[in-house]
Amino acid sequence: MNPKRKQRLILILLGVCGLTVAVFLVIFALRQNLNYFFTPLEISNGAAPSEQVIRAGGMVLPGSIAREDGSLVVNFKVTDYAAIIDVKYDGILPDLFEEGQGVVVIGKLDDNGLLTADSVLAKHDETYMPPEVTHALEQAEKAAK
Amino acid sequence: MIKLVQHTLQRELTLAYRRRADLLNPLFFFVLVVSLFPMGITTDLDKLTEMSGGVLWVCALLASLLSLDLMFRNDFEDGSLEQMLLSSAPPQVIVLCKIFCHWLVTGVPLTLLSPLLSIMLALPGHALPVLMASLLLGTFSLSLIGSIGAALTVGLRKGGLLLTILIMPVLVPVLIFGTSTVQAIVLGLAWPGYLAFLGAFTAGAFALAPWLTVAALKVSVCD
Amino acid sequence: MWQLFVRWFHKWSSPKWFYEMSKPWSFWLGWAALLITTTAIIWGLGFAPVERLQGNSYRIIFIHVPSAFLSEAIYVTIAIAGAIGLIWRIKLAYYVAKICVPLGMSMAFLALATGAIWGKPTWGHWWVWDMRITSMLILLLLYIGLWALHNAMERPESGDRAAAILALVGVVNIPVIKFSVNLVTTLHQPATLKFTEKAPMHISMLIPLLLSILGFYLAFLALMLVRSRIEILRRERKAKWVQQEIEQLGNR
Repeated sequence: MNPKRKQRLILILLGVCGLTVAVFLVIFALRQNLNYFFTPLEISNGAAPSEQVIRAGGMVLPGSIAREDGSLVVNFKVTDYAAIIDVKYDGILPDLFEEGQGVVVIGKLDDNGLLTADSVLAKHDETYMPPEVTHALEQAEKAAK
Repeated sequence: MIKLVQHTLQRELTLAYRRRADLLNPLFFFVLVVSLFPMGITTDLDKLTEMSGGVLWVCALLASLLSLDLMFRNDFEDGSLEQMLLSSAPPQVIVLCKIFCHWLVTGVPLTLLSPLLSIMLALPGHALPVLMASLLLGTFSLSLIGSIGAALTVGLRKGGLLLTILIMPVLVPVLIFGTSTVQAIVLGLAWPGYLAFLGAFTAGAFALAPWLTVAALKVSVCD
Repeated sequence: MWQLFVRWFHKWSSPKWFYEMSKPWSFWLGWAALLITTTAIIWGLGFAPVERLQGNSYRIIFIHVPSAFLSEAIYVTIAIAGAIGLIWRIKLAYYVAKICVPLGMSMAFLALATGAIWGKPTWGHWWVWDMRITSMLILLLLYIGLWALHNAMERPESGDRAAAILALVGVVNIPVIKFSVNLVTTLHQPATLKFTEKAPMHISMLIPLLLSILGFYLAFLALMLVRSRIEILRRERKAKWVQQEIEQLGNR
């Protein structure tokens, strides 16, 4: 191989190596729990940090929605069929928020285990649940067996 | 190829040594600006701890930008840049060596200064190694991306400020990943993910920047 | 079939062909754009129903959404045009890339400004470091960088090539920016803001919105053609056909 072509080849290989390393690092990074998503089971086990904004998801427990009179504050419970957490939200709930439907709440956990939500995200039917919630529910089912 | 690398590194380091007074500027800037933050915002140690990662990172980035213009300017002005591009040596290798030297004389000293400054900003001790790792990667990214900007502006008289404007948007992810890493460890959360993102960006920049820089140099030299 | 395509593609390397071809297009597109955009804005501002939660302040969406979409589309256009210019050395591609920069910049600025005007009554804040807003700000900075680089270079041809390289750097980085900003904004959720969930839009609001988007895009195409024509006249001024054309335009 003539020297010029050899140099080019080395350069291109170097570039490809760099890109490969980049891809591997991205894959590694994505598997870390960067979104701080926790299931009710993990939260009740104390795996979630308090005083830090986290996400929690599951199904809204039927019969658990309780609104306070005279304000927008609503208390409800979220479950992954393995544990239940209490959530308190002050604001307008999304239209698609319903009992027995999937929900993701974002907020801070206090020392009593109450999650004060800054925002509530709801999806309509079960096939369109956020993947984190589906995954969490599957895990809980496996653990229950 | 090895000889080329050896020779270029030697040349760059010798030239850098001859202008070592210039190279102290970024370090002084770093110390100065970091000191301004507690004086200007708050001396409350808890609040400083929250801000420390971000402040150190922003100041380190800005300081590194100061010496970026010098990467190609001297060679451009005396004509040796044109010679490098015309020679049979692959210009990407020469550019990589220049980037590496810039990092050695700017990014690495800044990183070595950071422990001292982190004490001033009340950064918890256990966060220090991660801070330094993030700064090492981040300043290397900055040298890589900055070389593209330096190459684009080397032919212009007042290239310095334009250089900063051009590459600032591209540096935003570096800043975000770097500060997130430090803030994660300060808050006691998972930091390897953020550091990995920073590493990925740096690796990607390593793969792509030399080619873009060479293209930009060719535009500037033919102006 | 492929030969036909190649021949059609190479036609674009002639600024003269483009200049003549684009005249009727720019005329008709321009009027269509004016008509559609005016209809859409009047419909949206005057006749669309009042929104349930936000009242009348949501109406700025008819300007805000099209300008946001367009600013991103224009950046991609500039990057593609720059790449065509670098790879195939087609001057027209460089001209298009250059003239689109102010258009994109103004769209990005408009999106941010209308967003701020919308945000104040809706969320109580003029500015918020939400992912989309921050990404749009960075897009604006990218545009400013492109514009500054074009103006800083001494020869316009160098400016073309330098800006093409810069545009490519930016376009490669846009997904990275969006991703990294997303990390930060989900990590540090602002505690006092509640973004109302977007309910799927009612058809009576959707139609003027779609119409407005169409109108804006057509306006961009028309402006792009007109500005390209002017840029061709400026850059090719030494060619005989240009000098004849300028004489004709002067005599009108």
